[in-house]
Amino acid sequence: MCPGRGIRNFDVMITAEGLTKRFGAKTAVDDISFTVPPGQVTGFLGPNGAGKSTTMRMIVGLDRPSGGSVTVNGEPYARHRAPLREVGALLDAKAVHTGRTAENHLLAMAATHGISRQRVREVIELTGLESVARKRVGGFSLGMGQRLGIAAAMLGDPATLILDEPVNGLDPEGVLWVRRFVRHLAAEGRTVFLSSHLMSEMALTADHLIVLGKGRIITDAPMADVIAGGTRSRVHVRSPHASQLADLLAGPDISVMRSEAGVLEVTGLEASGIGDLAAQHSLTIHELTPKNASLEEAYMALTADAVEYRTEALR
Amino acid sequence: MTTIAPTTPGIEGLDQQSGRLSFVGILRSEWIKLRSLRSTVWSYLSVVVIMLGLALMLSLTIANEGFNAPDAPGGSAADQAGLFVQSSTFGVFLAQLVVAVLGVLVITGEYSTGMARSTFTAVPKRLPALAAKATVLFVVTYLVSLAAGIGAYFVSAAVFAGHDVSASLTDPDVLMPILGASLYLSLLAVFALGVGTMVRSSAGGIGIVLALILVVPTILQLVPAEWAQDIYPYLLSTAGTNMFAPTEVTGTEVLTAWQDLLVVLGWVGASVAGAATLLVKRDA
Repeated sequence: MCPGRGIRNFDVMITAEGLTKRFGAKTAVDDISFTVPPGQVTGFLGPNGAGKSTTMRMIVGLDRPSGGSVTVNGEPYARHRAPLREVGALLDAKAVHTGRTAENHLLAMAATHGISRQRVREVIELTGLESVARKRVGGFSLGMGQRLGIAAAMLGDPATLILDEPVNGLDPEGVLWVRRFVRHLAAEGRTVFLSSHLMSEMALTADHLIVLGKGRIITDAPMADVIAGGTRSRVHVRSPHASQLADLLAGPDISVMRSEAGVLEVTGLEASGIGDLAAQHSLTIHELTPKNASLEEAYMALTADAVEYRTEALR
Repeated sequence: MTTIAPTTPGIEGLDQQSGRLSFVGILRSEWIKLRSLRSTVWSYLSVVVIMLGLALMLSLTIANEGFNAPDAPGGSAADQAGLFVQSSTFGVFLAQLVVAVLGVLVITGEYSTGMARSTFTAVPKRLPALAAKATVLFVVTYLVSLAAGIGAYFVSAAVFAGHDVSASLTDPDVLMPILGASLYLSLLAVFALGVGTMVRSSAGGIGIVLALILVVPTILQLVPAEWAQDIYPYLLSTAGTNMFAPTEVTGTEVLTAWQDLLVVLGWVGASVAGAATLLVKRDA
């Protein structure tokens, strides 16, 4: 370890093994194992109630695992001699007493680890809270609360950041700020574990994805693989001979859906193949558009079976 | 890229030694937390106002009525000291309610606002945080109560001075009860902290503690059965106020002041032990 400013060795991982949490008869987190490596942003995605927040709370010891274990840098969080220097956590916007000023909140948190007043000033500047630092937190907007939570997480200059829905309630500027901030932290070599329900935001921020559904890991893969592999690309075809074309296209690995009159959604065959086939049979095509799968589609496909609270109408 | 990326300043204000979790640090943290809430400041101010105000009221009443009566006090030195004690500690009967509520709120305020998650993320072993909270609450409550008690002595002295009633503050018959009253108030605050930690709800915690101080003793006194009279001296508020109040005030004197202190410590110990057990066992 090299103290002081400059490049620190942030070679730290979060490792979960067989991690399980039961609340009474309900299993919130069901025997999951994963690692969150340094130097990249690992996204944690899943429907509401999938167990994301519970998992994050177990990492910092707020919830006790019913089974299995989770370690940061090889040790359970509570065993570290300077927990705030190991992990900075934003688990809840406003995990702060509403009657206290932002500055006093940070000073009280800092005092536990003997972190200086100067560092408190630094994190206030870092998160742009200078103008409200002496105001009581009760009057803060959700966005300011998020910034304060990030300031508190950064107090110990931690090697690992755990952020649960950090862009919740932020304005577009704030969302952009968090995205750049998080990318920057990962670029410095830190371990960043980030949950969000905003899939588009996740697609822009994370390098790697862990998708959770009903307490189990559905996917643990690089972002690009998830987007490419979650759903196959499909081709949007508009033709006056739609039904003839559909019959010609039919095959074991090819699925054809008729969304409206004269329109086919084809998966399993490239646009070029469809065009060639139509040309061979002299069928007219008015539109032939490849549609790239988005993370959103991949995510919906992945979690289709694992959504906890789906309305009956969708079943 | 780097031009738009926010800078993450290094850890200039930290070195390997100072950046560690320590009990002294947790104590400082809890002290910052206690003094940075308006409710705490108001609670302690009201303790002082109550102690001084009620001392003034009672000493004036004693001065006006007592000295006209045939068996007027002001005789023996012990009697005079007794008057000072009555007057200087009279406010405790009201101040105990304020201190009990404060003790509950010190922890339940953290649960209701979500602050508890920050506290127990910074101190993941949790027990040091509870110990630090109890220590800071005990010391501050003790010092404030002691200052208020001594202030109440001087208020009484000013009133009594014109009536030939005097007793020195350093007279053990005066000083010990004032010290005892401060000790009761600060131990009561810690007891309430334990209850608050167990129930994690402001309304529930305040309800339980106030019921124990106000309602239970009254009910027990109304129960004609002998067991009720047997239990009565062992109640937290009975033993607590008997630690300093002369017999005339509370009526029952089954235990000595030191035994009363042991009873109060028993209540506090049970409360804190229950709090510590649940704090470690439960999810935060």
